[in-house]
Amino acid sequence: MSTLAQLGSAALSVLQPVSLLLMIAGVAIGIIFGSIPGLSASMAVALMLPLTFSMNASLGMNVLVAVYIGGISGGLISAILLNMPGTASSIATTFDGYPMAQKGEAMRALGIGIVFSFLGSIFSFIILTFCAPMLANVALKFTPIENFGICFFALTMVAILSSGNMIKGLLAGMLGLVFAMVGMAPIDGTPRFTFGNSELMAGFDTLTTLIGIFAVSDILISAETIGKGVETIPVKKVKGFGFSPKEFVSWLPGALRSALIGTGIGILPGIGGSTSGMLSYVTAKNMSKHPETFGQGEPEGIVATECANNATIGGAMIPLLVLGIPGDGVTAMMLGGFLIHGLSTGPLLFVKNADVVYGIFAACMICGLIMLIVEWSCIKGFVKVLKIPKYILMPLILVLCAVGAYATNNRIFDVQSIMIFGIIGYFFHKVKLPTTPFVLCFLIGKLTEQYLRRGLMMYKTFGAFFKRPIFDVFFFIAIAVLAWSVFKEIRASRKKAA
Amino acid sequence: MNRSIDAFFKKFGDLIVSICYLALAIALIVLARALPKSTVMEIGPDFMPTVVGVICLVLSLLLLVQAITKLRSKDGALKAAGEETGEASDYKRVIESLILALAFVNVLKPVGFIISTLVYLALQIIVLAPNDKRTKKDILLYLIIDVVFTFVVYFLFRYGFKIVLPAGLIKF
Repeated sequence: MSTLAQLGSAALSVLQPVSLLLMIAGVAIGIIFGSIPGLSASMAVALMLPLTFSMNASLGMNVLVAVYIGGISGGLISAILLNMPGTASSIATTFDGYPMAQKGEAMRALGIGIVFSFLGSIFSFIILTFCAPMLANVALKFTPIENFGICFFALTMVAILSSGNMIKGLLAGMLGLVFAMVGMAPIDGTPRFTFGNSELMAGFDTLTTLIGIFAVSDILISAETIGKGVETIPVKKVKGFGFSPKEFVSWLPGALRSALIGTGIGILPGIGGSTSGMLSYVTAKNMSKHPETFGQGEPEGIVATECANNATIGGAMIPLLVLGIPGDGVTAMMLGGFLIHGLSTGPLLFVKNADVVYGIFAACMICGLIMLIVEWSCIKGFVKVLKIPKYILMPLILVLCAVGAYATNNRIFDVQSIMIFGIIGYFFHKVKLPTTPFVLCFLIGKLTEQYLRRGLMMYKTFGAFFKRPIFDVFFFIAIAVLAWSVFKEIRASRKKAA
Repeated sequence: MNRSIDAFFKKFGDLIVSICYLALAIALIVLARALPKSTVMEIGPDFMPTVVGVICLVLSLLLLVQAITKLRSKDGALKAAGEETGEASDYKRVIESLILALAFVNVLKPVGFIISTLVYLALQIIVLAPNDKRTKKDILLYLIIDVVFTFVVYFLFRYGFKIVLPAGLIKF
């Protein structure tokens, strides 16, 4: 029971008025950064870091946690309302969130997203609090080979994602892989497909690609019909969070699965929230009894993504706190925060600075609650955006996209590349190629190649990969899934022909 | 005119896709050959492009066959396109928006954020606005939105988020 006792005493100190106010401010700043594309959670943490200098270690870390949580969940607002993922974690939220908003269910979509973000984060924080040291050892067992297995598994998900028209889905995914290969090759740094352009050496940035494919192409697509008349999207008023207790209960199993996926991916360093959201979305679609409704405004799609990407936070904190390994940009910034306050993360942190650790655990849960309250009380304000006529809103979004793309790396090349991807997105729309496989492959392509080559560097031959049981599980499930989807596809097309 | 472009995409969409991908696949395989092979490992930087190229090649050939058989078998392909009930797409607005946006991202650096955004936003809103929403009064409103939005974004990023947008000709 000592964990609970320590958590309780930590919660008391976290709930001091000053600390509570600072955390509310932190969550709010995080939400703003999260909802504007180009401003990421890691930038928000980086900006807040100097402000925590004057605070004591525990308070300082709690504020950073608040910013982190706000930053990850804020992305859902712009994803749902504007089809513009504010952070890479909320890509899959656009798939169902935006169609729901277009149908007038913006408030409901936001309500669902917010509640399940909250549940996902709380789930992962409970795991973080009670199982952190144990799970950290599991993370150590993951070498590049196992990570390659996971990435390979995620790539084969494209096949399921595009069932119904698999050839076109796979082709769309392949283009994603092609764009992921632009730049320096992993390990040896050979420039590939750069055509002598030095800007291309660093490759295309994830966020610029997403903004281009979703938001910019959306502007071109709506230009097709915009002259027909002024229509503003209706916004249906909802009570509470916009869903009934019965619906809530029916979504719970999916939410639990998504939270597990999110936390699990979070623990593994280097994979991150964007992949976990996508993976969880695809899994939800695959397990669903009505997969065809996904992408048309299916609440379960939002549940799956938002639960998973927020659960990644708790997962990512496990290797950070227990082993001192940051898994992504944000946790690396947090590590900086620890160092500034003279704390060294790793196994000893739990012994020497247990008060700080439990303070963080308590702060995580309380910030989750603050996020829920802040976002929910602002829903009515958020949906006002939809009242602006589309012909005014769309140009404003394009400017924001350009600014966001510029802000990611401070290079004008990123702004130009959103247009390249915007045109690709528009072309995809015209010839009816799905964009989802493109995005998934683009995200995971780089990682897959990197882990494959790192693994080969360690073990020399591919055959040696099969001696690792965790890799085997992922690899053979992936092959089976692939074979099964191809079989189903062929059978469906035969039936159609007959 | 617009309707026939829609019909063209509907009829030949798959054919276009398969031909584009065929070209892409061949380019990938050829370019991958030019990449250096790894001397220390089984696979080098040329491995992934080759794999992706080969998969693209196979898939695009499959799609090509599918598209051609569909075109042949369905003499009704044309009829289906003729039966198009939805409204025709407005390609004039699409192309004008595309040109404006391309110009915007390319002048952003030399001209600076403030001037290029002021001009771009005004023109883009007018291009997208329906014909009956282009009266003098409407345009005045668009200009006000344009100016307010541009300056709010610029100063918010400059002082709030500490990100200096390209200043170009005007420096603050």
